[in-house]
Parts: sequence; structure tokens; C-alpha cells
Amino acid sequence: MTWSPMFLIRWLHKWSGLVLGLQFLLWALSGAVMALLDHHKVSGEHALAPPAELPAAAALLPLTGVAGAVGEPITKLRLKPLYDSWVYEVSTPRGVRVINATTGQPVVIDAAKARELAVAGFTGYEPPKSVTYVAKSTLETRDLPLPVWRVEFADKERHALLVSASTGEVLAAKNDTWRLWDVAWMLHIMDYDDRQSFNHPLIVTLATGATWLALSGLILLFRSFRRSDVAWILDPLEALAERRRAKRTAPLPPAAKDSRPRA
Amino acid sequence: MRLPALARTTHKWFALILAIQAVFWTLSGLYMTAVHIDIIHGDRLVRAQAPQPIALAGLVEPTHLAHLAPGLKAARLENQLGQPVYVVDADEGKALFDARSGEKLSPLGEGAARARAKALFAEDGDIVSAELLTKAPLEIQTRPVPIWRVEFEGAWRPTFYISPQTGELVSRRHDLWRTFDFVWMFHIMDYDDRQDVNNILIRIFTWMGVATAATGGWLLLYSFRRKRRVRKAAA
Repeated sequence: MTWSPMFLIRWLHKWSGLVLGLQFLLWALSGAVMALLDHHKVSGEHALAPPAELPAAAALLPLTGVAGAVGEPITKLRLKPLYDSWVYEVSTPRGVRVINATTGQPVVIDAAKARELAVAGFTGYEPPKSVTYVAKSTLETRDLPLPVWRVEFADKERHALLVSASTGEVLAAKNDTWRLWDVAWMLHIMDYDDRQSFNHPLIVTLATGATWLALSGLILLFRSFRRSDVAWILDPLEALAERRRAKRTAPLPPAAKDSRPRA
Repeated sequence: MRLPALARTTHKWFALILAIQAVFWTLSGLYMTAVHIDIIHGDRLVRAQAPQPIALAGLVEPTHLAHLAPGLKAARLENQLGQPVYVVDADEGKALFDARSGEKLSPLGEGAARARAKALFAEDGDIVSAELLTKAPLEIQTRPVPIWRVEFEGAWRPTFYISPQTGELVSRRHDLWRTFDFVWMFHIMDYDDRQDVNNILIRIFTWMGVATAATGGWLLLYSFRRKRRVRKAAA
């Protein structure tokens, strides 16, 4: 046995293939699945209706009224339509709350209100199937500020609209395409619990190994092909070239032959 | 053809088409996993500011906003550079108003954009350049223009994008982000916009990857041999 560089590379390719092969296959497979799933569908953007446009409110609660209704220092104040009425979304050091912009009454986002907001924010015609309160992070709500109401609809894609329990805003729509995509994503980034981080030691280590696998494979290619592998391309080409050469040399007139420089 | 030879041949031919892309995938994947996404996003470039209470006395009343900006869709009152302002969204688009006088501040000029960028920048570097872009560069391709581009001196060329209409920090970019975006282009094989993860090239090549990995696994079955041992004859 001689340990030539090529032998070493072959050995490296074989063993890294043995160790990383399955993950490499999973990366390719999950990548293929994600490439096939339309990312517009995955994002759920088609399911979300643009916010309703309301005519300007006749009389809005003045700022002193807002301060009185909230009773806390205000760091940010937002005026916006929430389904059928104008509301103030008030940020205070203790959090965000919503009050009716005309009356100053607090707007409570309970199950009924969340259902109403989700129906208004959903582009489909199917009715909601269930309304549940989510206080602890789930796969579907991992990127959202909690708590939220999860309103699931009875459509084919099983859309779930996630409505903020503090502001009433429809934050996201999740569907079966996303759920399938999310499994592929989990396998791709190798974060099997939260499906969130792709910056952990396991994946960096395996990615380093996979880089060697790919590089050694690329180098091996130069040694792996022989003339006989590509004979099916080269043989006809060479035959063609041979025939041309024969045609060019054979019928030369005598005069032309004479004018050639002598060797 | 014998099975080991068939495995070797198929693996070899799939790999011939895939090899360079496989190197791109693993190298770009390595970069994206090794550099933490929070660094890529440039979180550290933006100064963390505790929100300050807004002094409400004497401000323009929200009822009045519909007259300032016809077709009002939404508005918000916030502090910018310590001054209360209204950011409104109306029929004519977004606009910025001084919440004390009701004076329209948008579109913001260079001085106002520089001041906002400087106040938000967490590092010490000075502003190198500020220019108003009317065509969105690739690194903020989905954002509305015109937009102020403010570049700072500092590691990795930190750059802030400030909206002249709202005064907000719309995006922050630096060279680690730009590198991420560049390798992302190779990862998803969208060499135009670096956005479309469903393009035909990536769809074909991912399945080529599956085929190469699967035939490689098949080939492994024949690649490891037990050392031949001399068997002792059973006594």
C-alpha cells in the first residue's frame, strides 16, 4: 500500500462519506423539498388580507384623554384601524395596550375578538375551526411576541392565523405547506428542538467535514475519468475529424501540391 | 455491468455535474453557520436606547392629523432625536411631521439624515459619506426609494439606510452581511436577485445532490473490505 496524495484523498473521501453521508443526503433531500415548495405559499402571505381602510374618525380622544386612560408615561403612540374602529396602541414601559380611539375604553383581545379579527384578516372563505390561547412558545409562534391567539380555519391548507393578544394585530399565517417546509428546515439546520438556530457547534463541525467531502470528491473526479469513459463522445468526434482530414488531403490538384513549402 | 462497477459509474457521472456546486454549497453553508446570524444582522451596530416618555403637553392633536395628511391610514407619535414627531401613512404615502408645530419635516435633507444615523450608530466611527439614492441597490432591493445611504468608518464598512419620509432606520448593512448575501446567492443558485429559492436550477441540482449522495452511499457498501484473516482450521 502506498500513501500517495491521491490515495490519501480517496481515503478521506471514503471515510468522510461514511461518517457524513447520511447528513449529506438529508441536506440534499431537505434542500430539494424546500426548493420545490413555493415560498410565497410557505410565507402564508396569500392568506393575509390587507388591513381595512376606515373613514377618518370624526372626533378622536385628545392626548390628555389618552394619558388619563392609560395612567402611565407613554413612550410611543400608534393610531390605527383595528377591523371596524380606530384604536390607539399605546406603548408604556410596562408593555403595549390598546384603547378605543374615540371613547378611550380598553380594547380587550379575548377569544371572540381574536376570532373576529382573524376572520377579517383571512382571505379565504372557510369559517374558523378553533380558537386557542398560546402563552408558551410553540413551533408556529416561535418568532412572534407572545401571548397570541391561534385561530385555525377549516380550509384545505389548515391555515392558522396568529393574532396578538395584546395588540390584536394578525402577526402571521401558518399552513400545511409551511409545516412541511418547517420539517425540511429542521433537518437542514439540524436544530431538532427549536428549529431556529443554524449557528450551533454540531452543524459547524459537520459543515466543515462536508466541505472536505465535496472538495476531495471534486479532486477525485480528475482521476476518475479515463478515455474509455468518454469514448462514446470522443469516438464519433474523432471519426468525423478523420473523415474531414481525409477529404482535405485526397483530392488536392497537382499545382497546389507543388506550391507547398518543402519540409 | 457488475453492481460495484455500476455504483461507481453512476456516482462518478452524477458527481461530475454536481461537484463544483457541492463545493459551493458546503463552503457557503460553512460561512452561514460559522458566523452568527445576529452579527450578520448587525444588531450591535445600533445603539440600544431605552424608550423615553413623550411630553404630551402642547402637541398637535391626533384629530388634526386627517387635515395635515388627507386619507390618513395610520399614524404614530414617537421621539426622534429627542423631539416628538408624527409619522403618518396617508394617501400620498408616508410623511413626517413635527408634533409640536405641525410642520412637515419630510422629505428629510442630508443634515437630518446624518443626525439620525449618527444618533443611532453604536460605534465611534464618523460618517464617511451620505447620499440620497433614487434607485435601490441590491443590498436593500425590496425597500422603497428614495432613501438616504449613510456609510460610517469602522470595521466592515457599516452602512445605515434612513428613510427620508419617516426618519426611520430602514436597514443596516456591513461587509459580513454582504458576504453572507453573496454566498447565499451560491447556496440558492439565484444569480440574478438572490431571492428566488424556487428557481429551476436549484430544483434540478438539489435532486442531483440527492442522487450523488445516494449512489455514494451505495458505493460505500463495496468500499470497505474486511482484512482477510487466515482462518485456523477448527480443531
